[in-house]
Amino acid sequence: MSPKKIDMLSILQAKFKGTSVQVQPEQLGKAAIIADASTNRDVLKAMLEADEKTAVIAITGIDLGATLGVFYHIRTSKAGIITIKVEVPKEKPQIKTISDLMPGTAFDEMEVTDLVGVVFEGHPSPGRLVLPDNWPDDVFPLRKDAKLDNLQYKQTPPNETEPAGNENIVKIIVGPQHPALLEPEKFALKVEGEIVKDVQPRIGYVHRGVEKAAESRTYLQDVYLVERICGICNACHATCFVEAVEKILETEVPLRAKYIRTVLLELNRLHSHFLTLGHAGLEIGFETLFQYFWRDREPIMDITEIISGNRVISSGMTVGGVRRDINEADIPKIKGMLTTLRKTLPFYKKVYEDEPSIRMRMKDVGTLKREDALKLCIVGPTARGSGVDIDVRKDEPYEAYGEIPFKMITYNEGDTWARMNVRMDEVEESINIIEYALDNLPTGPFRVRVPRVVPAGEAVNRVEAPRGELFYYLKSNGTAYPERVKVRTPTFANIPAFLATAIGSNIADVPPNFVSLDPCFSCTDR
Amino acid sequence: MAKKNGKKSKSSVRPMVRALLSNLFKKPATCQYPFVKAEVPEGFRGRQVYNIDLCISCGLCSRDCPAKAIEMIEVDGKRRPLFHLDQCIFCYQCAESCPRNAIMSSKFFELATTDKSSLVVKPEEKVQKGNGEQQ
Amino acid sequence: MVLDVMFVFRVLVFPGFTFLFFFTMFCDWIERKIEARMQNRMGPTFTGPAGILQPFADVVKLLTKEDIVPRGAKKTVFRLAPILSFSIIIFALSFLPIDGAAVIPNSSFSGDLIFIMALITLANFFLFLSGWASANPYGDIGAARVLTQFLGYDIPLFLLALAPAFLAGSLTISAIAANQYLPFILLAPWAFVLFIITLQAELEKDPFDIPHAESEVVGGLETEFCGGKLAFLRLTRDTQIVFGAALVVELFLGGPYGPVFFGPAAPWYFLWFVLKLLAVVVITEYVTCLFARLRIDQVLTTNWKVLLPLSVLSLTLTIAVATWIYPMVT
Repeated sequence: MSPKKIDMLSILQAKFKGTSVQVQPEQLGKAAIIADASTNRDVLKAMLEADEKTAVIAITGIDLGATLGVFYHIRTSKAGIITIKVEVPKEKPQIKTISDLMPGTAFDEMEVTDLVGVVFEGHPSPGRLVLPDNWPDDVFPLRKDAKLDNLQYKQTPPNETEPAGNENIVKIIVGPQHPALLEPEKFALKVEGEIVKDVQPRIGYVHRGVEKAAESRTYLQDVYLVERICGICNACHATCFVEAVEKILETEVPLRAKYIRTVLLELNRLHSHFLTLGHAGLEIGFETLFQYFWRDREPIMDITEIISGNRVISSGMTVGGVRRDINEADIPKIKGMLTTLRKTLPFYKKVYEDEPSIRMRMKDVGTLKREDALKLCIVGPTARGSGVDIDVRKDEPYEAYGEIPFKMITYNEGDTWARMNVRMDEVEESINIIEYALDNLPTGPFRVRVPRVVPAGEAVNRVEAPRGELFYYLKSNGTAYPERVKVRTPTFANIPAFLATAIGSNIADVPPNFVSLDPCFSCTDR
Repeated sequence: MAKKNGKKSKSSVRPMVRALLSNLFKKPATCQYPFVKAEVPEGFRGRQVYNIDLCISCGLCSRDCPAKAIEMIEVDGKRRPLFHLDQCIFCYQCAESCPRNAIMSSKFFELATTDKSSLVVKPEEKVQKGNGEQQ
Repeated sequence: MVLDVMFVFRVLVFPGFTFLFFFTMFCDWIERKIEARMQNRMGPTFTGPAGILQPFADVVKLLTKEDIVPRGAKKTVFRLAPILSFSIIIFALSFLPIDGAAVIPNSSFSGDLIFIMALITLANFFLFLSGWASANPYGDIGAARVLTQFLGYDIPLFLLALAPAFLAGSLTISAIAANQYLPFILLAPWAFVLFIITLQAELEKDPFDIPHAESEVVGGLETEFCGGKLAFLRLTRDTQIVFGAALVVELFLGGPYGPVFFGPAAPWYFLWFVLKLLAVVVITEYVTCLFARLRIDQVLTTNWKVLLPLSVLSLTLTIAVATWIYPMVT
């Protein structure tokens, strides 16, 4: 069914005419809506009624001096980002929660509470999210006046004792160190027999305070900092950040640079998908598939090395373009490697479709229905495997994606198998995109000079990382250092999907289910 | 659904069945480093090569370094950069910021060592060799 | 006096304990190399020529590590169970004719096939105990899975082993091995194929790998073990593989008997035994690489709904074919 064009702004302007809610079009994305603590829920309700695909992308907490800002960044179907800006006084930073309207925002609100200190009334499970349990209660790192030397840590609270209840329930703790997880996070599973009854997540083990660190480095240095939020989608983080800076500077990047950026982004996608597909094989005990996928991942890293000088972290982006050009003499070699890679795809596709043990382990495992995917604000291949057709490359084309033809892949089954197949098919699309970009590389410069000092302004930007939609909010204050960098990574948005689908499944289904949403905890924790 | 014997339903496992047997007789895909030298392409970001003749002591490399890995030290009365390779992230922003192209990259990447004091690129010598010979 | 020395030599050195120990190492190396080559990688290469000393190096490494008994574990069981399971498997191996005669000469008795099957069950039971005795939820789950799994395959394994027994007319392994005028794999191929599948379950290899699935239960029943005890658990597993393959050789492939070209028979029998055993090891390793790991409920479904009826059918078919068809042909 083709989506009706919903004019969200006129609906909102009509509904809130005469109230304190102001709609400012073409500010901060599609529009900024100025509301206050009493009206933010009403605005969100109005948007949800108008369009079922409304989803909250992120909630930014920001220190605005006398007040604390809580910005709700909302995605509507194919209409861009609308931000609801609310300010609460610093002495009494309280606001009503929206997690009853959109359950996927529970994590976002907990993070704002941790880092900026806004209390969300009515939140279902308040507690620490990214900061450790013994962090002092009155230090909020992202406030401008936060004193971060000589912290007086609290005593670590003891482990919660289980209430005397069902003795059949065994608590199995997956993580922080566990062979199934690549990076540390803790999931306490309550298991009866082999069925999982409850999952309690605790993230924040890899929290490095990147958002705070970005405020004390120049924009140029920040490109390298945000690149290292995630090893695999490093080009996506860098691209999202530089695009946000370029939006504030109103710089037009040369076309050749856009194509080269597209090539690097798609190489990241290829790398990530091959890694996940292999890792999924490992989780279901299929070591052979794991070894084959990772063997075929090597040429992708070799291509990245030819183009950018390093196998994984490409460091290719800079404000105003890309840092180095693609040598025309290398292009035949790159295309040869891509052709060899493409030849292996039918084998893997056939294995995923026909191999009986894969079907037994992945079919009907971790099924996420379409309505749940929409309510939980899921993004990326996880959402596309449940029939939700969102893809930033199609919804709001950036770089060269508007000019390059490719298909958006969706599957309707919603289980692990569907999600892995989405990634399989996206691999082929990525190879097509790279080959098209290399064939049609425009001539011209590959970067423009930009000033080091960025004028005051704010911008939002999003990019389709391999795991889903990556979102950045950037505020500059007229100096060479940014005022606030907010990052919302796709895995952060997708963890509620895991929590919802794990309950009621077997223990043995937890690893494949988990890997199918392609978790990257470095991204989650920043 | 109970699994049928994999060997009997040959049509559905054929790709893997054949692949396993054929790989048994092929050469492994492993590159036998360190007995076989790994080839790196041109433009690989290895250890820095610093040309003291071109340096004008502006200090932009040190100012722009995201990892704060370049320290300006006094050598023969002028300020020269000292590269701390244990801090360096090999992004080569220093090479980009340098107005005289005094910093270049090399293909040398075998930097692992048990002696931390060797993880520096010193500015003292006239011209440093780029193939990784120790000074 | 001479007999006693021979006895001690056979039990302790060849083809007894020492030989079996080193042969297990060798089979482990073959397994790892074959698995690696099928996965397009190198496998053990640098310890000894072509990496042949790697399994031995692993055992030695484990023996030099610190050996910890967790505080809540049941200490006696924790300490004894790995060693017991290893020794039971070695003991079971000593009944199989390796160079024409068993390790303990003249040890075979009527019905020792059933005795050996009971020994496998006992060894697996001690593996279960070792997981249960560690004070760890991962160990408990791993142990429970071991028990659940072998409850499922024990009966099919037994029924399938009866098919060659029937064809040979005896429940004594050495008699079954000796009476194969044609290897039973040709006379009852269905039993051979099903036996290999059930053997995968007994040896806990893919697709029945669930008791020590690292991605779910960390180490399964091996989680709390380290040092010497872990070495024994690993050795138990490796020896089980040799034992399973040896059983297949005895029951279906004609045991150590084969053409003797010149000289005394015993070295030739030994050679044939080794070659046939390595072939079975390669086949089981190939099946391992071919499949993913099944969930425990899928394993149970496979065992009870597929393997058990098929093994009953196989026995019935073997009896029918042997009683009516083969006498007409021979």
